[in-house]
Amino acid sequence: MNRRGSGCLKDGPGVIGRNCRRVDGIAKVKGSAFFAADRKIDGMLLARVLRSRVPHAVLNKIDARSALEVPGVVAVYTASDIPGENRVGIIVKDEPVLVDDRIRRVGDALALVVAESEEALAAALPAIKVWYEELPGIFSPAQAMAGGAPAIHGQGNIQSVTRIVKGDADSALKEARVVISRRYTTQMVEHAYLEPEAGLAAVEDGQVTIWASTQNPHYDRREVARVLGIGQNRVRVVQAPTGGGFGGKLDISVQCLLGLAAWKSGRPVRMVYSREESMEFSPKRHPCVIDYTSACDGDGRLLAVKVKIVGDTGAYASYGPATLKRAAVHASGPYQVPNVFIEAYCVYTNNPTAGAMRGFGVPQVAFAHESQMDLLAGALGLDPFTIRLRNCFQPGSATATGQRLIQSVGIGQTIEQARAGAVQLGVLGGKR
Amino acid sequence: MKKRGIGVGCMFYGIGNTGMPNPAGAFLDLTDDGTVLVLTGCADIGQGSSTVLAQIAAGELGVNIEDVLVVAGDTGVSPDAGATSASRQTYISGNAVLLAARQAKEVLLEEAAGIMAAAASDLCLRDGHVWRAGEKTPLTVKEVLAACRKKGKLTLGSGWFNPETTGMDETGRGAPYATYSYATQVAEIEVDTETGKVSVLRLVAAHDVGRAINPKSVEGQIEGGCLMGIGYALLEEVKLTEGRIGNPRYAEYLLPMSLDVPEIHAIIVEEPEITGPFGAKGVGEPALIPTAAAIANAVADALGVRFYDLPITPEKILAALSAKGDGSARMGEIT
Repeated sequence: MNRRGSGCLKDGPGVIGRNCRRVDGIAKVKGSAFFAADRKIDGMLLARVLRSRVPHAVLNKIDARSALEVPGVVAVYTASDIPGENRVGIIVKDEPVLVDDRIRRVGDALALVVAESEEALAAALPAIKVWYEELPGIFSPAQAMAGGAPAIHGQGNIQSVTRIVKGDADSALKEARVVISRRYTTQMVEHAYLEPEAGLAAVEDGQVTIWASTQNPHYDRREVARVLGIGQNRVRVVQAPTGGGFGGKLDISVQCLLGLAAWKSGRPVRMVYSREESMEFSPKRHPCVIDYTSACDGDGRLLAVKVKIVGDTGAYASYGPATLKRAAVHASGPYQVPNVFIEAYCVYTNNPTAGAMRGFGVPQVAFAHESQMDLLAGALGLDPFTIRLRNCFQPGSATATGQRLIQSVGIGQTIEQARAGAVQLGVLGGKR
Repeated sequence: MKKRGIGVGCMFYGIGNTGMPNPAGAFLDLTDDGTVLVLTGCADIGQGSSTVLAQIAAGELGVNIEDVLVVAGDTGVSPDAGATSASRQTYISGNAVLLAARQAKEVLLEEAAGIMAAAASDLCLRDGHVWRAGEKTPLTVKEVLAACRKKGKLTLGSGWFNPETTGMDETGRGAPYATYSYATQVAEIEVDTETGKVSVLRLVAAHDVGRAINPKSVEGQIEGGCLMGIGYALLEEVKLTEGRIGNPRYAEYLLPMSLDVPEIHAIIVEEPEITGPFGAKGVGEPALIPTAAAIANAVADALGVRFYDLPITPEKILAALSAKGDGSARMGEIT
């Protein structure tokens, strides 16, 4: 039967709002999807990165002569082999593709080995000699922000500050019935996507094509072109089927290194991270320290919030400044608060880089603002749903940034429906 | 002893990048046999954007989703759609695809108007047919395509969309997002006061997504997000010593496993967004955001002790119960 039929819809009045089968579903279920690690080209080489084992050091010298003598090793590339700019980053170009001066975290890429086999790679990596001078490390934002702390990037360790000021929070606190101040801390976590970072690059007719597991192929194209010092007309990035990302595949991982290896060697090159490599060197969720003060009147109506958020972005900015900015914008929650003072700091340390991860700073502040709502409710003997309904945005409300919300403001609906759902299931009922 | 608790978590989430342009583009080619070829820079990373974009193209052109082929994330053929991040692709790339489809549709409707001696504004496409003033006509989209080709007319479209935002000034004033998604989750948990283990029994997750283009896909996002939120609340932590990760393996890094999956009741709330494609906003990140907050509040409800430090591990719970003077926990400590 003709798959296309008459072009008429088979069921339902329209295709919008229908549970259409996923267009990639069959290939994923049958295991026939062609992930980057599944791809092969004749004459393909394999690549692996030599990474720093120390968190902070001045790199003096890399000697790869012994590694080049390992049978099957084709090349070892270091920073001096990069034809274009040796810095990448979505917001701030602060991360070297291969370290040229300073090591800023455990896992910084020092050299790229390209070889005929995994065995040759395994033998070559330990044969590379690295001379460096270790520096004292900075492992907490508090240490990084303290006066006299050495600057990890040469211009102070506070990468960015976002401030949101509305009304007069300090005066409002004085008039409040209830004031609650607490410190919240959140941990660093890993994205844990099923598929580790992987890619394959090949050069044909003076154009390099890179198939990669990625969340942003057009950004990858820009960075590869800059690093190779060529126009975007000579770079093509094709997103291979991607086994999850959750923000962890927004930054450059294998793309520039593969581009370099294929460009310099003239042969196709593939690189696939091991699980450990992926977990150790991919960006993480920002650990945050959040100092939160909330104030409300006797009816539980919010009068003011004061929030200070400090996020550890690790050695490189990655998406850090945007994550902390978003955390600031969302710090007062989906509630109308007339007086707001919010500060969010994105701070460099010698810890692993923290970047984008599903929620982008908001899971951290939601833990804080929702704990605060329950504490306020508890102080006044209010039900947790009641205090939220009393404060939540309505059409016409203004956010902390003064943005007027006109339509599609569903927070009240979600509170009502979640409560009704919980009552219907018997989750709520007897107890309250 | 097992203690039960209930907690609530709410959130809002701005769709798209914060206070900066973040456009997406799309190309569309309606081929001779009725295939709708969509070229988009939007990377489908498993979240289902290619399916949603196919539905949007099919919805605008009034054809089957089976007629749509989405080619995504190839810089050699597709325009830039920005990152698959910020819960932005359904809203932003969805609008780009919608506009591209509309452009191709206008060519078809103009041709159909000529064939039928009607005004193009009276016509629409649905079920693979041309409809006139709300009535299905025998003229099919394929016949109109054939008529176009006979005259040498191609049926192409391109579209791009950039959400309307402003930057933020030095006091943070501005409208950094064009629209926001909202959610409330209720967690029911049980704490074993002897072991300190928290079991999440049920989660009720109500999410305002504007309009669910594909409800099953929205539910999938909510369920996956809830699981990630359980890990964030109770289990996951990258352990660092002087910048080194001590647990870079799944044997040591605790994730929620299938036995940790509670009953998850997803409730889709639809408050249509007028600037969204068919009213849609986004759900990718909102799915996870309130979960840890709701669980933390449920633990406080169960124990009368509040935790300010994630993750809320059995060790922290036992230490807190011991400090509070709870008998069952203290017994283990008297040695």
